[in-house]
Amino acid sequence: MSRNEAEWSKRPQFPQTHYVNSAIYTDDGLFKEEQSKIFNKCWIIACHESELPSPYDYRTFQHPGGAPLIVVRGEDMKIRTFLNICPHRGNTLLYEPVGNAKRITCIFHAWSFDTAGRCIDISRGKQGYQDRFGCDQAGLREIRTEQGFGGFVWVNMDDGACTLREYIGDAMQLLDEHLEAPLEVFHYHKAVVPTNYKLWHDTNSEFYHDYMHYFNRATGMMQPGYFDRKYTGYPNGHASVGSMTIKYDAYDGSKERGVGWPGLAPGGWVLIDIFPGMTYNLRTSVLRMDTAVPLGPDKLVIEFRGLGLKSDTPEQRAERIRDHNVIWGPFGRNLHEDLLGVYGQGRAMRERSGSHWVIHGREEHSTIHDEVGMRHFYAEWSRRMGRLASDPFAESGSAQRAA
Amino acid sequence: MDHRHAVSELIARSMLMLDAKDFEGYLSLCDEQYRYRISAHSPEIRKDMIWLEHDKLGMRQLFANLPRHNSDQSPLSRHVTVYTVEARDEEQQAKVVSALQVFRTSNDGGVTELFAVGKVHDTVKLGPDGPRLLARDVRLDTRMLGYGHHIPF
Repeated sequence: MSRNEAEWSKRPQFPQTHYVNSAIYTDDGLFKEEQSKIFNKCWIIACHESELPSPYDYRTFQHPGGAPLIVVRGEDMKIRTFLNICPHRGNTLLYEPVGNAKRITCIFHAWSFDTAGRCIDISRGKQGYQDRFGCDQAGLREIRTEQGFGGFVWVNMDDGACTLREYIGDAMQLLDEHLEAPLEVFHYHKAVVPTNYKLWHDTNSEFYHDYMHYFNRATGMMQPGYFDRKYTGYPNGHASVGSMTIKYDAYDGSKERGVGWPGLAPGGWVLIDIFPGMTYNLRTSVLRMDTAVPLGPDKLVIEFRGLGLKSDTPEQRAERIRDHNVIWGPFGRNLHEDLLGVYGQGRAMRERSGSHWVIHGREEHSTIHDEVGMRHFYAEWSRRMGRLASDPFAESGSAQRAA
Repeated sequence: MDHRHAVSELIARSMLMLDAKDFEGYLSLCDEQYRYRISAHSPEIRKDMIWLEHDKLGMRQLFANLPRHNSDQSPLSRHVTVYTVEARDEEQQAKVVSALQVFRTSNDGGVTELFAVGKVHDTVKLGPDGPRLLARDVRLDTRMLGYGHHIPF
């Protein structure tokens, strides 16, 4: 039976942990709070070390907490990160997404910095500042940076944060053995979608939406073992999904895989979600990494990377690229469908659309169509935000329960 | 011999047929050895990338699978301008470079947006029965394609 407004707006008859208020996907105030309480406190992937192969190579990165960053490899091969802001007049230091800069020189007034963040030249400094101010007071703001878990470069805006290893904990145990060989990024693209970052991470945290993917239905859902895959939750909001054997040749035009991945069984598939918006997705012969960079409550940039092994022969790399492109990339069969899905959610949930609740209520012993992955994410979200995602404006006293 | 007119017409027809989703018609313009590719350069990772690559059978399978997928249904309009036709009579081939703009028109209201720009690098087989597509590399300048697309350009 259809429902009237009062019935439609009534809280779902689930525990408060099993649904969320759709305002968490649209409210600008909540988004700004997420930037300070979540993104500026958590370890975030800025790039991969293979994108900075040589001394002085740099990448720029728009941090989801709001800060523009420079990630640069020093002469000592150490990777460091700095605010991409000149300490003089606040200008952007490096404009290009990538480059090589032995000196980082601001185009505005030619102040120069080295790759350790030290100011090495203030143009006509003595004449202007005499002894009142000099290079030793004009270094760049350094951001905590660590490398790990497949060679990714992680940054944390919080100087007092725990280490990366403490933050990840045991969440990567299903992948650790598969990430020992040095990796290299061979695919990179961004998508801008008018939706909320959590909706993308939700999609990566539940497999119930395999109904949307013909490829996954044919090669996975119709195959033995699919409904045995289990979610495991870890501290700090991370979650993993165990493997199964995907039958790739069940999709016309796809093939059994030849190259594979070190340690991964043929047809294997491991997925690990890292709070608040990163996903390792290892299947076929490719590791895919998604990094969600929200620009607002309803505008999201997703960075997509495809990785192979640095040791690949040209033939192996070509096969990985083919494997990648069947389902991923801008013309892949699955990625387009996933992005249409979150685009549709963003469209339907915009403010004042009449959307009130999103249900995460499926319970199937943590197996593949259970929505425990999303519930686990929102438990961490609630812990960090200080109230439940089903009560984001703390109208029903959920702050104490979240704490 | 000047092949420009026939080659230009072949390329225009291939785009019109894709616009019309006449996939059998499109494949009929292609040689049995046809290879199709979409590629782009990423400054971010300093690498050339291949985003889609198929032989003729692979293209046929891709088209056949389309109805089974959930896809954006906005019509595409491929605008192509043939820039250069370099005939190699001894190889019975022509190398062709064209400019490409792809526009997407929403079904709801009909607003049109520029979706992608790039160049199309075609290898055309020249024979007594007229020119046929032997290889196509759609080299995109545009790398941000929103939620992407299931149908090749």
